[in-house]
Amino acid sequence: MTILGTALGLVFYLLQVVSGESGYAENGDFDDAELDDYSFSCYSQLEVNGSQHLLTCAFDDPDVNSTNLEFEICGALLDVNCLSFNKLQEMYFIKTKKFLLIGDSEICVKLERKSMTCRKMNIVKIVKPEAPFDVRVIYREAANDFVVTFNTSHLRKKYVKELMHEVAYRQEKNENNWVHVNLSSTKLMLLQRNLQPDAMYEIKVRSIPDTNYFEGFWSEWSPSFHFRTPETSITGQMDPVALTISILSFFSVALVVILACVLWKKRIKPMVWPSLPDHKKTLEQLCKKPKKNLNVSFNPESFLDCQIHKVDGIQARDEAEGFLQDPLPSQPEDSEKQRLGEGMQGPNWPSEHPVFTPKTFIGESPFRCLAGNISVCDAPVLPSSRSPDCREGGKNGPLVHQDLLLGPGTTNSTLPSPFPFQSGILTLNPAAQGQPALTSLGSSQEEAYVTMSSFYQNQ
Amino acid sequence: MFHVSFRYIFGIPPLILVLLPVASSDCDIGGKDGRVYQNVLMISIDDLDSMIDFDSNCLNNESNFFKKHSCGDNKEASFLYRAARKLKQFPKMNNSEDFNFHLSRVSQGTLQLLNCTSKVKGRKPPSLGEAQPTKNLEENKSVKEQKKLNDLCFLKILLQKIKTCWNKILRGVKEH
Repeated sequence: MTILGTALGLVFYLLQVVSGESGYAENGDFDDAELDDYSFSCYSQLEVNGSQHLLTCAFDDPDVNSTNLEFEICGALLDVNCLSFNKLQEMYFIKTKKFLLIGDSEICVKLERKSMTCRKMNIVKIVKPEAPFDVRVIYREAANDFVVTFNTSHLRKKYVKELMHEVAYRQEKNENNWVHVNLSSTKLMLLQRNLQPDAMYEIKVRSIPDTNYFEGFWSEWSPSFHFRTPETSITGQMDPVALTISILSFFSVALVVILACVLWKKRIKPMVWPSLPDHKKTLEQLCKKPKKNLNVSFNPESFLDCQIHKVDGIQARDEAEGFLQDPLPSQPEDSEKQRLGEGMQGPNWPSEHPVFTPKTFIGESPFRCLAGNISVCDAPVLPSSRSPDCREGGKNGPLVHQDLLLGPGTTNSTLPSPFPFQSGILTLNPAAQGQPALTSLGSSQEEAYVTMSSFYQNQ
Repeated sequence: MFHVSFRYIFGIPPLILVLLPVASSDCDIGGKDGRVYQNVLMISIDDLDSMIDFDSNCLNNESNFFKKHSCGDNKEASFLYRAARKLKQFPKMNNSEDFNFHLSRVSQGTLQLLNCTSKVKGRKPPSLGEAQPTKNLEENKSVKEQKKLNDLCFLKILLQKIKTCWNKILRGVKEH
């Protein structure tokens, strides 16, 4: 029994091997090699004729002998289990309203009622939309663009309403240089600047389902539309208002440039880059203002050392009178000037001749001017009022200087002060000729003394 | 004591087993994302509603079906199942081809989405109504017309209930 069973098993095994020799599918089913030639593909079109749907299938291999072959669809149908296809040349189709549109169907190739090959498909996942039509291109001169419009029958359908469209255009000279644009509406704008002027263009459109339920393939291309882009001309396209404005602005800019060049030196440059005023002239102008008959000059011959101090008017006058009553030696004017000149020599002068600074005399000593024709300088006095007196005093007689001015050789000598105050009021001693008879009135402080004349000479 | 224990052992557990299915849902709903309903079923329901042209008096006609079955909580699927089976009876009426196809799509599509237990499936589908005996042809004709009107009125209300129930299901899915 055991041997018999083993023999039978071997026989059956050999039979299986022989029968499955020609083909063995990966899924374990035994398929004939000839079935591979019956591979097919299908697509559906919903509401193609009113509420009727169309399902079309065809063999992938066009050389298949489809004489006795039939197609059948089963499942996901309304009120029926299966439907048979109609044959038209090499295409198999079925036009019906009985698609459930929910769930999978099974499409089989039958040879004499025997299923040769079957494929499970979902009708809503193999939708191929109808091709768009009525493609038109309109040029808008005002906007400088082209408006592309087209129509599709799916706008009036109930199931496959939302589509994604693809517009393709090219210049007719450039073959296979298509530009693709995707859009969901049926209107597209093409800018004129993106197209070549005076050129012939070709444009076409196709669609694909764009919903989360219906899926499928691209439709056929729409019939092409040809259009020519206009020539671009500068004068023709220029707006007259813009042209006028541009001309006016050009001329105004030119006028501004010319005026700037002409008025540069006289008006513009002094305002933009003002020149620094001369200090001498400025001072002359300042001095001119208070008194008209005031003659101000920076001639060193007319310089006089005049110091201005804050003084008590009454006391200054009394003291001035008392001072003027004392005999004072007179100095010849020339020697005095020589001494003054010697006293104010060069840059080394401050070191050789210790001087009093005007600061020490502020509020202490009145201003004194002594001359042959004595004219007492009233205190407090303005610089303008003092200077002529000082000048007169310089010309006529000995001078009284509040600042101590020592000539050469008299550095260490102390000069007696006729006045009771400590401030140094210098008096010229006419007896000591050749030597500056300047008396120091008490202050041993050496202070820098700078006069206008020395300042001028230093320059 | 021995009789009491027998009662508790052999009485209460079977009672519990019988009562449990009453509290639970009999069907599971597929397509809760709403894509099938919004792209297919709702279109057919709207077309059917537009084909049924009735005045407002139709709304006052309350059938026993709606008194027995409603789209309550955790009972949406069973209501849709019963409503879909009820719709299957209408194609037998003398209606247009498109009308019948839409009816079939709604009923068949709903049933395909629902996965109900055998208990629910095994129940006898409710009938539209029994024909009353008539005296003569004219009376028979008028009765038939009246019956057709009543059925269409019932269908209109049923379709509205189905639409409301689907909206309730989808609303519940969005909230979760």
